[in-house]
Amino acid sequence: MQALWGERRRIGLWRRLWLALMEGEKELGLEIPDAAIAELRAHLDDADLDKAADYERRLRHDVMAHIHHLGDQAPAARPFIHLGATSAYVTDNADLLLMREALLLLLGRIGAVLVALGKQARRYRAVPCLAYTHFQAAQLTTVGKRMTLWMQDFALDAEELLNRIATMRFRGVKGTTGTQASFLELFEGDHAKVSELDNRVARAMGFDAVFPVTGQTYTRKLDAQILAVLSGIAQSTSKFASDVRLLQHEAEILEPFEGEQVGSSAMPYKRNPMRAERMTGLARFVIELEGNAAHTAAQQWLERTLDDSANRRLVIPEAFLVTDALLVLATNVAAGLEVREETIAEHVAGAMPFLATERLLMRGVKAGGDRQNLHEVIRGHALKGGKDLLDRLARDPAFKQLGVRAKADELDPAAYVGRAPQQVDDFLDRVIPELMRSIQAAAPAAAPAEVKV
Amino acid sequence: MTGVLVQSTLPLPLLRRGKVREVYEVDAATLLLVASDRVSAFDVVMREAVPYKGAVLTQLSAFWFKRLKSVMPHHLLSADVDEIIARVPALAPHRDQLHGRAMLTRRAATVPFECVVRGYISGSAWAEYQQSQTLAGESMPQGLVESAQLDPPIFSPATKAEQGHDENVTFDHVVQRLGRLTAERLRGASLALYEAGRDYAAKRGIIIADTKFEFGTTPDGDLIVIDEILTPDSSRFWPADRYQPGKSQPSFDKQPLRDYLAGLKKQGQWNGEAPPPALPDEVVKATSERYRDAYRRITGTELE
Repeated sequence: MQALWGERRRIGLWRRLWLALMEGEKELGLEIPDAAIAELRAHLDDADLDKAADYERRLRHDVMAHIHHLGDQAPAARPFIHLGATSAYVTDNADLLLMREALLLLLGRIGAVLVALGKQARRYRAVPCLAYTHFQAAQLTTVGKRMTLWMQDFALDAEELLNRIATMRFRGVKGTTGTQASFLELFEGDHAKVSELDNRVARAMGFDAVFPVTGQTYTRKLDAQILAVLSGIAQSTSKFASDVRLLQHEAEILEPFEGEQVGSSAMPYKRNPMRAERMTGLARFVIELEGNAAHTAAQQWLERTLDDSANRRLVIPEAFLVTDALLVLATNVAAGLEVREETIAEHVAGAMPFLATERLLMRGVKAGGDRQNLHEVIRGHALKGGKDLLDRLARDPAFKQLGVRAKADELDPAAYVGRAPQQVDDFLDRVIPELMRSIQAAAPAAAPAEVKV
Repeated sequence: MTGVLVQSTLPLPLLRRGKVREVYEVDAATLLLVASDRVSAFDVVMREAVPYKGAVLTQLSAFWFKRLKSVMPHHLLSADVDEIIARVPALAPHRDQLHGRAMLTRRAATVPFECVVRGYISGSAWAEYQQSQTLAGESMPQGLVESAQLDPPIFSPATKAEQGHDENVTFDHVVQRLGRLTAERLRGASLALYEAGRDYAAKRGIIIADTKFEFGTTPDGDLIVIDEILTPDSSRFWPADRYQPGKSQPSFDKQPLRDYLAGLKKQGQWNGEAPPPALPDEVVKATSERYRDAYRRITGTELE
């Protein structure tokens, strides 16, 4: 991801765009010598960034600086470079190429998160644990079921990514205000050739679809839509990481801890959820970046204004870089989650007497008791604590006279998890495989990434 | 437990007699599986039985079934001889045959595929890879050496052959035969069971290189894991402290037997086919001790 947003990569794309334009123009009838194309093709990847910077200091224009530098390297091409085009031809189209590739990288990374969490969810599909509402112990769920909640959020992000990638359009060859006037001039009024040039260059650069209309730039609404997807990924990561932080406090589920890792410089016994904490911090950054793209889209005047430029140069690369880091961290934490089944079981056991009271209440009413009376009796005893709750209830005259007391099988946690294991199975075997096939068809498998800190 | 059991004989209808175990019908919903102490090597069943082997297979399976029940429901009802006799009083006179070796199970319609998971490349998978750089028909990275770890592990299903060797099939073949949902579930459950078992055994000095699961469908339509799981007979167990990728690995359990038989073959004293040669006592004893050691390491308890 870092290589993608470097200067060298961007200038390489600009030069390929100039080549595609020149080739398209020649094929459609403009007089451009073969030597011009051959020289340009020979200098796709050897831009001297220092020399281009010298030009930029004088010209105060990055695209013109690179045109001059390329003209020095390929003198035969010099007269024809950028013919009919405006800066946005290279800058916007290159951004679109970079963003599409970056979205594909993120898609592969989300696939890796889903694989890692899917393994954990399957392993712990039927392990009962406390479910929390208001971060207060509520009823039971399973460890695996909770993991599918995290997975589903990432799966929704993956669907958004797939949609965004599939519907992405090229800015194409549109000219200064998007009317293609300069190209119509070059092709002497031949509309078909101008339209064909637009499509031909897009295809040469790997895009099937072109924005049918643009101003000078492609609509900045697309940037906002893309940033919204990245923000969505950050939201899912943050929710996952926050849950891990809460569960690590309960010592139920812990993020991975390396053999020699130090928790705290002052308190050697500590084991902090530092990766999950970092994830929430970085996620906040990406979520806030989304606002920049939204405001840029909202603030564009007429056919274009330049207030987008400096903002986009920061926001887009940073959003992709940080989202990439988030997904690497999420994969690392998901794959290495330490699930402490014994602690989880202890916490469940502590809550079982309370949970059993609901069934006790139902049976009490069936045996002829008054629901409201029995509810009050249970409430009174429950507020005094849980350890011997069921014994106290059995001794309470209200239940004693009904002959109702807790049965052994009412204390089996597995009886309180509802359909959680079956929901995990359905999610993992029905929903996820289909999504994974779409991901694998669109994106190469994510290269493994190491978390170094 | 007393003596060894070459072959069980019980007053119940015998459904199947496999290389190692007998399957009896208790009633329409229940089966009794008895693992004998028979041992095979190089595909030949030996005449001598290995003391404790049947009990190791049964009790180790019971250990894993209970430990992995949250990953996948299983067919085990009881592997305790007293409980089994209480459920099936007609078996009371055969207590010695059953003790430790018998398992009362739910009856399920067997899924017609062996669900093999390979976490290390070895045996027939290594042969396939050397020939075509594939595993279970799927292409694999270049440059793997024999016994290399496969990460992630590979699901490599096979047909259940009535005779001879099981034949490897692709995952798509399973999808076509059983439908995508069942195929995904078999793959997901097999990988999860294997990985949970592999991680657990690794901490106790045993590499479970690969293994084979069998699944069945209950009358309610639930998929459950059946037969034996993660035992030395259904898996390749390697001693972790002697693991050296790049060559074939010693077997944790059968190496004394294999070494002895390989010696005979080398000297031209055995052609590798039935009838098997007689085994010296010390070979039988050493093999028995290996099986018990595997049980001891994994469960942390001594076989009763």
